[in-house]
Amino acid sequence: MMEGLKNMLVMIELELRRLRHDRTEIYTRAVQPILWIVIYGPVMSSVKAIPTGGVPYTDFITPGVMIQTTTFVSIFYGLTIVWERESGILKKLLVTPASRYSMVIGRSMASGVRAIFQALIILPIAVLIGVKFVPNPAYFILAFTVIFFASGGFAAISILVASFMKTRERFMGIGQAITMPLFFASNALYPIKMMPPILREFSTFNPLSYVVDAVRGLLITRDLSNLLIDLLAIAIFDAALFIMASISFRRIIE
Amino acid sequence: MDFAVKVKNLVKVYDGKVRALDGVDLNVNQGEAFALLGPNGAGKTTLIRILTTQLKPTAGEAYVFGLNVVHDGGKVRKLVSYVPQEMSVWTDISGYENLLIYAKIFGVPKLEREKVIDEALENMGLTHVKNDLVKTYSGGMIRRLEIACAMLIKPKIMFLDEPTIGLDPAARKVVWERLNVFKKEYGVTIFFNTHYMDEADLYADEIAIINQGKIVTRGKSEELKHSLGGEIIVFTLEKTAHKPDLIQNIRKLNFVKGVFEDGNLSVLVGDAESTLPDLMNFLKSEGASVGKVSITKPTLDDVFLKYVGTRLEEKGRVSDVRHMRDMIRKG
Repeated sequence: MMEGLKNMLVMIELELRRLRHDRTEIYTRAVQPILWIVIYGPVMSSVKAIPTGGVPYTDFITPGVMIQTTTFVSIFYGLTIVWERESGILKKLLVTPASRYSMVIGRSMASGVRAIFQALIILPIAVLIGVKFVPNPAYFILAFTVIFFASGGFAAISILVASFMKTRERFMGIGQAITMPLFFASNALYPIKMMPPILREFSTFNPLSYVVDAVRGLLITRDLSNLLIDLLAIAIFDAALFIMASISFRRIIE
Repeated sequence: MDFAVKVKNLVKVYDGKVRALDGVDLNVNQGEAFALLGPNGAGKTTLIRILTTQLKPTAGEAYVFGLNVVHDGGKVRKLVSYVPQEMSVWTDISGYENLLIYAKIFGVPKLEREKVIDEALENMGLTHVKNDLVKTYSGGMIRRLEIACAMLIKPKIMFLDEPTIGLDPAARKVVWERLNVFKKEYGVTIFFNTHYMDEADLYADEIAIINQGKIVTRGKSEELKHSLGGEIIVFTLEKTAHKPDLIQNIRKLNFVKGVFEDGNLSVLVGDAESTLPDLMNFLKSEGASVGKVSITKPTLDDVFLKYVGTRLEEKGRVSDVRHMRDMIRKG
């Protein structure tokens, strides 16, 4: 158990060391969310077509856009895994004493670390264009913890997918096919109430909605009425995916 | 004392059709350097991957230091270190950082870590580039870094899949000298695949030749060469017509122990001096005209030629290798 935890930390350390050498990806991936906040947000808010419960529209979508970016980063983390599979890295890792689950969870959480940086970089831009965050450090820390763990779960999805899709091209395709529906069928850009009934049903099973709801409550609206349910949903989501990804991880090198 | 590796009737079939291993039996003594020689697609990599617990055999049993690789995988992984054929280091961090991450995964105690890493870097001649990103390394440096990774712990056995691929002859020599010291100092067993004859010849205590999923012969290099017996007369034939069953006919001569053809005609005989005139006459009567003759002692190359049927480099059409790789990839 301790061994496993240590190995997870090593995987996180690996990711931090990578980030230290090369941060280009963080910057390039920040472009898209910034466009959402700087252009899409203000334009849509002038239309006033979307009921946001009293907060400005740009403020409303900021958490959604942050989560969207971090989810994308995590889902495409599987590309790293596919690359490591094509080279001999995964083979070598799987011949070490480290357990499968510690590799899977460790790598997933490593992607969570990347996600935190990805979300942090959006904050100053949002503040600049006037998004009002709840000025409470404890809320911030909790929000980023939620982002960290949720990203871990999404990265586990990507590891699961990577163990089936063994080429980059296939993986890219499936990655797109997962991320866009997750995003649009969530409460990231509009409240779930506005969706057609079928999508609303789907949204109940969309982990992204719970993450956005929790982070939005903590950073913008102070509405924490669903926080416990959100956290529980994320915990179940993580646990289920960590287990599934660990089981399928072995087949990745076969 | 347990064998370092013990394999009994091992079979591996990919996708229900490609028989990569077809009943392999093998024992490897502790503390030896053991070379598995074979053409591409012979099953060398598959065998190493089963022994390192990555793949499950279709049938048969395999043990590493008495531990069953299927049932005691966790315990086996504590004893081994492994260098895959493909590149296996992270290129976006430094060489030192690669070793640091692995030292931590292997559980090298904190106090020893620096020393162990420095030693491994020193051994593989990478100290001066340890803080450079691996993507700036040459192919040979990357290979040496991978071997350094495998030296971090003092494993009971190292599995090296084509360890010196991509290294120039000088670097190969250095790597093997270090591996030999490592082997002697810590009693590490080295199990390696190679397609360099000279490497097996020089550095392996024992050699097994594998072809089409079966071990066709094994022994010490000298024994293998000796087993051919006698001398080899190599004829370079002129490109004139000779009878099509020339080789069959030579084989029928009572003093001929073996004939192989690979561009040149090699004839294995007991004593070259006394048989050469007869052979020359015979070739003439068969309509072959000889351009050049040379006499050699059998080399490992000749051993390979005898058991596998072709010289190492020529065997294995590219398409076959690809096909096999695809199968391995798909699992």
